[in-house]
Order: sequence, then structure tokens, then C-alpha cells
Amino acid sequence: MDAQFLIEIETLAAVLDQLDYYGVLKLQQGAGAADVKAAYYRESRAYHPDRFAAVESAELKELIGRIYRRINEAYTVLRDDQKRVRYLADVTGPDRARKLRFTEAEEAAVSQEQKKKLEEQFGQTPNGRKFYATAALELKAERWEAAERALKSALMYEPGNPKFKEQLAAVQAELEKTRVKGDYRIK
Amino acid sequence: MSEDIAVGIDLGTSYSCVAVAVDGKPQVIPNEWGEHTHASVVSFLDDGHVLVGNDAKKNIITNAEHTVYSAKRLIGRFYFSDEVKKAQAVMPYGIVEGPNNSVRIQVRDRTLAIPEISALVLKEMKAIAETHLGREVKKAVVTCPAYFNDNQRQATKDAGRIAGLEVLRIINEPTAAALAYGFGKDISQKICVYDLGGGTFDVSILEIGKDVFEVLSTAGDTYLGGDDFDDRIMAWLADDFLKAHGLDLRQNKFCLQMLKEAGERAKIEVGRDGVAEISVPGICQSPEGQVLDLTARLQQDQFNRMVMDLVQRTFKVCDEALQSARLTAADVDAVILVGGPTRLPIIRTSVRHYFQKDPLTGVDPDQVVALGAAIQGAALLSTSAAEYGQASYLLDVTPLSLRVGTVGGFSEKIIDKNTPIPIEKSKTFTTSRDGQDRVKIRVYQGESSKVDGCELLGEFEFTGFRIGYRGEVQIQVTFEIDSNGIVNVAATDLETGQKTSTTISLSSGLSEQDLQRAIDDNAGMELAARQP
Repeated sequence: MDAQFLIEIETLAAVLDQLDYYGVLKLQQGAGAADVKAAYYRESRAYHPDRFAAVESAELKELIGRIYRRINEAYTVLRDDQKRVRYLADVTGPDRARKLRFTEAEEAAVSQEQKKKLEEQFGQTPNGRKFYATAALELKAERWEAAERALKSALMYEPGNPKFKEQLAAVQAELEKTRVKGDYRIK
Repeated sequence: MSEDIAVGIDLGTSYSCVAVAVDGKPQVIPNEWGEHTHASVVSFLDDGHVLVGNDAKKNIITNAEHTVYSAKRLIGRFYFSDEVKKAQAVMPYGIVEGPNNSVRIQVRDRTLAIPEISALVLKEMKAIAETHLGREVKKAVVTCPAYFNDNQRQATKDAGRIAGLEVLRIINEPTAAALAYGFGKDISQKICVYDLGGGTFDVSILEIGKDVFEVLSTAGDTYLGGDDFDDRIMAWLADDFLKAHGLDLRQNKFCLQMLKEAGERAKIEVGRDGVAEISVPGICQSPEGQVLDLTARLQQDQFNRMVMDLVQRTFKVCDEALQSARLTAADVDAVILVGGPTRLPIIRTSVRHYFQKDPLTGVDPDQVVALGAAIQGAALLSTSAAEYGQASYLLDVTPLSLRVGTVGGFSEKIIDKNTPIPIEKSKTFTTSRDGQDRVKIRVYQGESSKVDGCELLGEFEFTGFRIGYRGEVQIQVTFEIDSNGIVNVAATDLETGQKTSTTISLSSGLSEQDLQRAIDDNAGMELAARQP
């Protein structure tokens, strides 16, 4: 093993705690999923512990182990689309120094966000979800009046839901289009 | 003196296989009789010798109480687990409780731990390799099902040590199979390994990119295997016999063994020839002293109906694996079949249906795992790898989520399943009482948020940190899963940075003392020469 590689390993292990996950994988901040995977393969070829399994020095193996565990950690976070977005916001934000590693708090925040998004999309209350589902069916069948009724019912249970309101507005616009124009009042 | 050598051993539930890679070419090592696979059966003879392999298998009937088979089903399990209860009902050998809820086997005048039984199988594999290669073999890569938990992996590793082998690595069977398939081929594919063994079922989805073998996801069922197919045939035969003669063959352990053998043979025949003629003359004696025979004919269709639900179960596992990998069946470029039962036409047809493509031919389902292990063994020994780069890198994952027990019988997830290994994760615990001097945590593996639905790995006790008011002392516990898939736990006092001492107060494994004793015992046991 050449001395240069040894020095490289030692320096990397020493600064490991100051690097963010992009740094660990030697990536530009904001790199996408495909880049992350390619970088992970590249770094695995360099630092995979199997490569050093037959090396005598326990010290070197320990360093490699530390580096490679961090590479795996970085990959686990950056390969996930939601987590990557969150992580990028964290490390480019003011709290960077404390957010270099993705902890359980961030993990929880991501799943919370995920849940909220889903709820907004499909409703937070059982009845809201039920009426919204009916509305979606009616919309598909282009029965606008029925859809309007269902959405209004859904909004009774969740008055603040932005998704429901948006849908209702769209349906009402459709209704407006189909309404017979001209003077229909009986003289 | 030539350089070091490491063999690859596929330690199976019913059959084992050993291989070695010479000059980058892996090959299976046959025994003196030219057999490539060896029954994982250990028979204790009355002269104190131990017989292992296909000859021992013949003793299942004649020396039933002292012949141990399918020990892998019990490895790393607690005595109170369902699998052990089930085994006690059907196995002719004695299964008894050992210390710390462990499982022991009672044969002749001795009790053995399960790793000691597996060690005897490994010892036989070692002997086969040594005879063939004409030199001592001290190192090995041993495979285990991908879905094995930490207890089972630890026990497999212990078995190697007891057999006098340095286990360089425990690798997952499907990963080994993928390595044997893709090694040196320079391909970029997404593949699925469908591994139906004697006692376990595993599915792994891998992405092969030139020299990198990345496991995207793995799923499995450690309670599903070829044995369950045999059981269905046995139940059918026994029910028919009960109707015809009013005698239940399952009540007698001797009859049960004959029945089991007939079931296994019928399964193989029906898979190969489309129909099986079952004939066991003199299977039992009626109370009147009349000797009764068992005869039956099993058609392919009938067999397929019997096992359809088992086959369906394997595809539920496939669904799970694909979902975790965020792929659909159509994204898979190739399917590799591993394990003897995948020879059955019903499996092949169903796999073709599910993946909409033919499974690969030219891969021997019995040998491919050992070949992969041999490749990995050679790679781990090569010092040139560090300088020139290795020919292949396995990027494996942990099959189960790692959890710690919290209050009220619930658990909290620490490391997700399908996370690449080796990996580490830390969690901070605080003391809950003033002046607390010890913290205990229980570690589990499984997918349930209730601890009852998970497998207990052990209880760890940390002492030697500062003593203070409650909530003041913070202990950072680091959970590490190493390349073998084995969990290590360590803790430090967060403020002083001092490592606390850790003791395992509950574990299914062997203590260091037990292990030493087992190593000595094993060295004293002589493998019997095979009768010509």
C-alpha cells in the first residue's frame, strides 16, 4: 500500500466530523439521485472494508471502518428524495454546524411532513376523506353537480383544507361553463 | 508453504456444500465418493464416533433418537419460540432447555448446543476440503439466509469457531448466489435472487454495476422451505392411511420418519417425472399384529394444489422486496433460482408468471451459494486487493429493523431495514432517577412496534458513568451493525466522553466459557469413516 493513500485515509478520518454528507461522498451540494448512486459506488470501490480485510494493521482497519460507515450513512440519507431535500436545507441553513448528521429528530420531521402532505391531499378526518373520495369519483365521471355537493360536504368537516377548496373552485368553474347561457327566465 | 486458503461453505438446512476458488476460478469440492452436496445430518454412533453427511441421513430411521437433522431451524432461537415447540413435536431426537432459555440437544449421554451440531457439519466440510486439497484449511466464509437475525448469525459464527475455522465473514446466501452469477461478467443489471431452501425462503433484489453488487432490498420468511412441501405430502398420506386403517402414523416417531422420507422422495419424483409412486412396505403393525404397507400415487396436479398456498406465500415476500427496492417485477432483468425446491415445475412456472420472464438456466441451484462464498473467501484473503482494487464489492443490507424497547411493551426504531451495512447510529438516553448508577436497554430486531412481535437480541447494562440528578446524566449509546450483519452496542457518557462498561445480561448465545468448552469437546469428537 502506498504512503500517499495512507495519508489520505488518515486526513479523511480526522476531518470526518466536519464534513457534510455531500463532502463524505465527494459530491457537489444539491447533486441528484443518480449522482449520489455513482458517487457511492466510486467511494465503495475506494474504501470498502473488504478491500483491506487481509491488511495486518488493526488501526488502519478501524479508520477504514469509520470512514465506510459514514459513507453508508451518507448514502442512506441522500438516496431518499424527501430526506435529501430536508438535508440540503439543513446544511445550507444557519444551523449547519449542528445539522451535519441526520439524526432521529430530522428523521421524525421528515415523516411528519410526509404525513401532513398526505393528509392535505386526502383529508384529515374520516368523513372529510370519505366525501373527498366520492368527489374524486364524480369528477372522473364528469358529474359536476354531484362533485360540487360532495366537496361542499367534505369542506363542512374540514373548512380549512386548501386542497378541497381548490378542487371546489375548479368544479364550480366547470359548472359555470356548462350552464346554459342566454335569457332562460320565463317571461 | 503455499499461501493461505479460504473455503466457502453453504451451511444449509438439509444439505451443505463446500467450494474453493483457485486462481480466480471457483469450484465445488466433491468428497471421496464424488458427491457434491452433503446432508446436514449428524449421527452419534454407539462407539462414540460421529457420522456426518449422506450416510448419516440413512441413520435417521435406524438410529433415529441419536441422529440430528434440520438443526439450522433451531439455531439462534430461544427455547420458548414457536419453531422449537414445533420441532419438539416432530423430531425424534431430544430437544431440551439449556441455561438462559437456550436450546440444547440431548443425544446419548451428552447435551449439545445447536452451534455444536452445526460445527460438526462444518468440521465434515473442512475435512472434505482438506482431503481434496491435501492441505490444512483454517479459514472460511460461511453463508446464512439473508433474513437471519443477529442471534442466528452470531450462532452460525460460533459454530465456525467451534469447528476450528476462522470465519472471515458471514455472507447472505442470495448475495453469494448473485456474486457467483455476476462475477467477472462485467454486466449492469437488476437481478432478483429467489432462494427457496430446505427450511428458509429469501428474496434479494440486487443491482449489479460492473464490479459492484448492491443489495437494494431483501425480504424473507425463516419459517418456509422445502420441508413444508414434504409436510403437505406427509399429511395427505397420513390422513389417507388413517381413513383406511384407523391408525395415525404421526403418533409414532418411527413411522413418522418413514413417512417423512416417503414424502421427500415423492416431492422429488413428482417434480422430475410428473407422477410419484409411493410405496413403503411394512410401515407399521396393526394392534392385531398385521403388518401394513403404505402405497399411494401422487399426480402433479394434485401436488400443485397441495402446495399452492406455500408458493403464493413466496410471492408475497417478493412483493415486499420489490416494494422496498421501489421497483416492479418488470424492472428486473434476470431471475436466479437457488435451492433444491426451485427445481419443482410449479415453482419455475410461477416464477415465470410473476416476473414475466424465464429464470436463468445454467446456474446450479444447489451449488451456486457455495461458489459465491468461495469467491468472497479468496477476495478477503488477497492482500493485493488493497493496492490494485478488488474484483468485486458486496454492498449488503440489514434485513430487519433494529429497535430498542421503550415503556409499555413498545419499541422504537433505531436502524431501518434495508439500510446498507456496516452502519452505526447513536441515540441518547438519560437517567430517570436521582443517583442512578446503571442503565439497562433491551435491543430487538423486527418490524412490529410492539416488542412482542420482535425478536429479542439481548439486554445491555451500562455502568461506570457519572452519578447525578435524574435527567442530568446523558448516555450516548452507539448501535453498530458490522459487515456480518452482527449487532454491537457501546455507550459513552456524553459530557465526559468516557466509555461506560457494557455487559450483556440476557442473550441466547454461548458465553465465552461455554464456547471454549465446546471447542475442546469438538476437537475430541472423531468423525466416523464411512462404511463401504
